Amino acid sequence: MSLLHAIESQARRYAVRSPWIYRINAGSCNGCDVECATTALIPRYDVERLGCQYCGSPRHADIVLITGPLTARVKDDVLRVFAEVPDPKVTVAVGVCPISGGVFRESYAVHAPVDQYLPVDVNVPGCPPRPQAIIEGVAQAIEIWKERI
Amino acid sequence: MNFMRIFARNLMRGPSTVPFPFGPAWTPQRLRGRIQFKLASCTACRACEQVCAPGAIRFDKTPEGLRFMMWHNTCVFCGLCEFYCPTDAISQSDDWHLAHRVDKKFEMAIRETVPYTACTGCGMKTLASAPNPVGIVPPFTAEEIEQHRHLCPACRKKALTNRGATP
Repeated sequence: MSLLHAIESQARRYAVRSPWIYRINAGSCNGCDVECATTALIPRYDVERLGCQYCGSPRHADIVLITGPLTARVKDDVLRVFAEVPDPKVTVAVGVCPISGGVFRESYAVHAPVDQYLPVDVNVPGCPPRPQAIIEGVAQAIEIWKERI
Repeated sequence: MNFMRIFARNLMRGPSTVPFPFGPAWTPQRLRGRIQFKLASCTACRACEQVCAPGAIRFDKTPEGLRFMMWHNTCVFCGLCEFYCPTDAISQSDDWHLAHRVDKKFEMAIRETVPYTACTGCGMKTLASAPNPVGIVPPFTAEEIEQHRHLCPACRKKALTNRGATP
């Protein structure tokens, strides 16, 4: 039992240092997605210095980046995928669309803001935000992640 | 042996990664970032509200005056408000540090009120806004702006006619 406990605390120590990022596109125009990809793939910005890595499955994720105004078409799918992310998780809304709706605000086709359906922790406004701004948001999310785990 | 050349070049130039968030980040001079508002220059013409595509700018009538409200979380940094503002009361800075925790969501706003005043000419209740400088030759001096600020629209017209300017 004590061995299990030791393994768990050790795993927790490593998990704090490397939260994995998962990106959900909730009907985004792809502008913010390009900036999110930029933060990971281009050495100039390189979000992996913070120990983050983009992962392909929601079940491996610790930090969720949501882009897009949550269109009526993808709403159910986004909520299903988000529910698959294990707790504890930190949610970051990237771009003005998930935060308030941006230019799509009060449209019949979008369900923005996202925080009336999902617990959002950090907002990164911008249309799209700069890669550095996204990194700043991810850094704030990591601070919250350290408290949660 | 091409890799040796690249290796030597990389050794000399150092890493190309921007040190942010551990160090400062380079910002282009003309980056369109956070909106700034200068209440003293506002003419209350509401052109910015008219052109704002996402509806980030709103004017409300309150008992104290005309309230200007601008929410950074809806702004798409298009710059139309700055372009159409006749007095540069609204402008864009190069500040892009807008990421915040969600409990600060509604603090990311500018709330300012253009107050009501009594017209020094006729005593009518009027907005103490700056006069519109478009088409005024020669341009307003600072004292004239302060004079016009405390005049109602009709008295401003009279003052302009006396001044001999083309309205």
